[in-house]
Amino acid sequence: MGVAGYVALRVGWAAVVSVIIVTVTFGLLAAAPNPSVQQAATQAALEGGDPQEAVERERQLRGLDEPLHVRYLDFLTGVYTLEWGWSEYRSQPVTTALADAVLYTAQYSIPWTILTVLFGPLIGVYSAANMYTWRDHAATGFAFFGYAIPNFFFGIILLLIFGVWLEWIPIVFRTEVPAFSLANARQLAIPVFVLVTGSIGAIMRVSRNESAAFRNATFMKTAKAKGVSPLRAYAYHVMRPTLVPLSTTLVGQLLAIFLGSSLLVEVVFGIPGLGRLTFNALVAQDTNLVLGSTLLFTFLAVVGNLLEDLAFTVLDPRISYDDREL
Amino acid sequence: MSTDTDPNAEADAPRFDRVDWEAYAGGRTGRVSTTTKLFALTVAPIVALAGYDRVAAGERETVFDAFAAATDLPLQAFGLDFAVTAVDYAFAATLLLFVWYLVVPLFQHPRIASHYWRRFKRNRPALVSLAWLFVVFGGGLLGPLVLNAPEQNILAGHQPPVGLTVAEANVPQCVGEVADGRCGGTWEYPLGTTRGGVGVFTGVVYGMTISMKIAFITTTIVAGIGITVGTVSAYAGGWVDEVAMRAVDIVLSFPTLLFFLLVLYVYGAGLGMFIVVFSLFGWGGTARYVRSKALSVSEEEFVKAGRLSGASTRRVVRRHVVPNTASSIITQLTLLIPGFLLAEAQLAFLGLGDSSIASWGQLIAAGRSDLAFAPWIVLAPGIVLFLTILAFNFLGDALLDAVDPEATTEAER
Amino acid sequence: MTDNGSGATADGSGATADGSGATADGSGATTDDPLLAVEGLRTTFETEAGDLVAVDGIDFTVERGETVCLVGESGSGKTVAVESLTGLIDQPPGRIEGSVRFRGAELTALPPKALRRHRGASIAYVFQNPQDALNHCYTVGWQLIEAIQVHEDVSDAAARARAIDLLDTVGVPDPAGRIDEYPHQFSGGEKQRVMIAMALVTEPDLLVADEPTTALDVTTQAGILQLLDDLKAEYGLGVLFVTHDLATVSQIADRVVVLYAGTVMERGPVVDVFERPAHPYTRALLACLPGRESDLDAVGGAERGGIAGSLPDPTAPPDGCRFAPRCAHAESACSTGDQPPEVAVGDGHRVSCIHYDPGDDPSALPDPTESAAEAERSSVESARQDVIGDE
Repeated sequence: MGVAGYVALRVGWAAVVSVIIVTVTFGLLAAAPNPSVQQAATQAALEGGDPQEAVERERQLRGLDEPLHVRYLDFLTGVYTLEWGWSEYRSQPVTTALADAVLYTAQYSIPWTILTVLFGPLIGVYSAANMYTWRDHAATGFAFFGYAIPNFFFGIILLLIFGVWLEWIPIVFRTEVPAFSLANARQLAIPVFVLVTGSIGAIMRVSRNESAAFRNATFMKTAKAKGVSPLRAYAYHVMRPTLVPLSTTLVGQLLAIFLGSSLLVEVVFGIPGLGRLTFNALVAQDTNLVLGSTLLFTFLAVVGNLLEDLAFTVLDPRISYDDREL
Repeated sequence: MSTDTDPNAEADAPRFDRVDWEAYAGGRTGRVSTTTKLFALTVAPIVALAGYDRVAAGERETVFDAFAAATDLPLQAFGLDFAVTAVDYAFAATLLLFVWYLVVPLFQHPRIASHYWRRFKRNRPALVSLAWLFVVFGGGLLGPLVLNAPEQNILAGHQPPVGLTVAEANVPQCVGEVADGRCGGTWEYPLGTTRGGVGVFTGVVYGMTISMKIAFITTTIVAGIGITVGTVSAYAGGWVDEVAMRAVDIVLSFPTLLFFLLVLYVYGAGLGMFIVVFSLFGWGGTARYVRSKALSVSEEEFVKAGRLSGASTRRVVRRHVVPNTASSIITQLTLLIPGFLLAEAQLAFLGLGDSSIASWGQLIAAGRSDLAFAPWIVLAPGIVLFLTILAFNFLGDALLDAVDPEATTEAER
Repeated sequence: MTDNGSGATADGSGATADGSGATADGSGATTDDPLLAVEGLRTTFETEAGDLVAVDGIDFTVERGETVCLVGESGSGKTVAVESLTGLIDQPPGRIEGSVRFRGAELTALPPKALRRHRGASIAYVFQNPQDALNHCYTVGWQLIEAIQVHEDVSDAAARARAIDLLDTVGVPDPAGRIDEYPHQFSGGEKQRVMIAMALVTEPDLLVADEPTTALDVTTQAGILQLLDDLKAEYGLGVLFVTHDLATVSQIADRVVVLYAGTVMERGPVVDVFERPAHPYTRALLACLPGRESDLDAVGGAERGGIAGSLPDPTAPPDGCRFAPRCAHAESACSTGDQPPEVAVGDGHRVSCIHYDPGDDPSALPDPTESAAEAERSSVESARQDVIGDE
């Protein structure tokens, strides 16, 4: 089996995982009383109508009277053809609402990801190169601080200091400023900083510990004996092999933080992105929107894991595709 | 240079991995060990009480009230007047599990325990972390028995912590001394109060209980599922192994927080559901690790010998695989627990958590709107949460080094 | 001499960056300077247990076109010694003292950058474990080209052509096809050939081979040794060969330096040392060679498969002769003062042992019978012929 075969197999598996997750989601929804049906019943009762009749009507309207497998297939088709329904809370199609929100989420997620991916391994390898010196200890301390401090707590504190006391940044996110402007950079600086602090620590630790093994490898001695400068030796001979094990954790780490923190950070800083949309949908009991945003995050996770595995395969030349497990 | 310090000490040193666990467990094939008997004996009253709660106690009645009414025992006098939830039963059972299978073995083997202690002492941050976790643990366990449950008292709202003052205008009624138009803190509320007049200190202590419950119960469930799936997968092999490992893949890539939000949305969810959902998706790494360890252990001579002598697979797993993986599993869990604590705090902060419990996240959320003039409401629980997560991480890091001697510890240098 | 040496330093380092031995010869160093002259080399490491003395003041020289073997058991400081020559040791925790003169130019005084220009250019290394010595993430070609371009400003294409040439020289089949393969696609012996090719890219004057055959199987070993021998003749290399394996020494060495616990026990032309080993340690080592059982009785302290006892604690070396605690011939005088001064017991054959006076016959040490020495001679001769002749 060659590279193409492996990639095809891995992509196929990602598809299977996404179907499984969608199925679990469907099962969860199907097994529970539909909030909108209950709402209809309550409303009917309040207005003096027949709750039972209202329930029937609502069920029919929502296609809940169909047999389970028909509903399942409909659901599956809907999910994969991006027919994600109408958001009552936003009064627009769910996909449109999500697309609008993604723009805001991207504004801080992209700089955050770039900074983390760039500086995490750099500081980690630097830390390993200076192992057990004060530089290493400082980096380690920062890493531990970063991933121990809850993002939302850190966000609140920084907002208090820089927004309320120093008045350097706006307390509420201003959507009217253009995406590429100094004002936007200023209001996104703190959220990005909070997220980078939270995510970079784990990357640094992994890079540091993995590269510690490589910096004492014989091939480093070979490089040194060849007359390669220490900087080049670290940049090429330590950094490159470190990326292999790092690739297996990097995407997962980022995704985990993204899923959890985007929600919190957007709520704290009032950024109208995906996380805040999900939160509002939950509060507003907008089933379609809740489902839509959960599915979007889920697909991101599946795709992220796929990329992670593919990156690992590409980065490590020693992998034989024949006995590589999925 | 660092790896070859004192190789002799290393070789002589007792390790979890090399302990003859069979010797102290006193068990033989087919017989239940003493530890298990003792555990069963102590857990029985809890199970009985839980059963009684379910069968006999009324809907609006706490189990202790019902029991006291039925038996005329003055239980209230012992402070047993609170409502007991399913989480409480699980917590109590889990605690017993830890006592009998972790604490008692360490006492029975002072040599091993003291060896671990000596090694551990060298790592300062981990030592401090352990001390802190003991504080949290002790506070969580004993606090609710000493302190009354947090109560609202609007008049005592926004009291400052001891040693601090706040403008009188911000306080409905000052409990402490008023000087120069500023209200001072009192020992009645050492860490001040929230808007509703709930003591922050009491809130933090009650939050410790919640955190301990999350930590212990999830640990038990995750370890239970992980070890079971891992060993079954390793020993069954074939398609069972394949399916189990694919399941691990899914569990590991599953966006648990989102799934929980969905569960929460559809069913509504309390602390119990939170613990169940997060544990159900947290065992992937443990299972994967146990499987690989079980496969390598099963290759080793002593297991082969065990098998040849007719020992059952279950015995091999219990006597050899579990002890050999124990330290690594503990390490993994130590690094997993902070994630659970953080998730709970995040949900509570968003107002999506179990509003009936006094967790740190709830407290942080409660103080957010008053942050500008009453920062202690957010800071106290936030810092405690931060320190607890930090402590778990330091501890996990230290254990990781202990398990994997290749990587020398930061702090040992 | 010293002035001349320091004067040559700057010139020498600049000239060797070109990688050409011919230019370096014209750079001011006198022709009587040995290629490599090491004096009083002492390497210590700071550890928690105190200063660890890995190399304790050793001297040796390597001439052009000759192979000098540093011999000793594991932990005797051989590897540290050769890595100290060009500062491959991390400092700190390491500390290198003494003098290392390369073509008359002092290396220990050079700043790191200038020293780096020597490494790989005029002094090249081949390490013990070829499995780990090549970076698994890069192709063999990339690593060879890196070695060339670090020292010379040549185009990728030219560097690549030279790399292919060199792979051919060291006997890698189908070099043009295999240059783009990764190290894991090469066998152990092939990897070591690649390492040798990498050492040769800039036509060095001195090749330091640190146990290059230890990790290889016997047939591959013979091939690599043969290759090194050929290259020595072809390029006029000086070869500093580190090994613990006396069979290898007998096949490749011109001169031998026997190290024990970081100090020189005995040195001399290979035939002298093998035929008339003077130091009890050398005798014990030789007795461990297969086919030399006849010596076992003669050398009291030795047993088949090793010498009784173990190396002294390098943080607290014993007084007197380092080998005294394990020596069957040790007297009370052996355990006082410093390591005994070396005395000449033959032409270029010197030993550090109180049992000898200058000019003594090495067989003066109460023992090895004439017949044993005879057996020695023939076995050394035949070993040399076996390996070198068969190739």
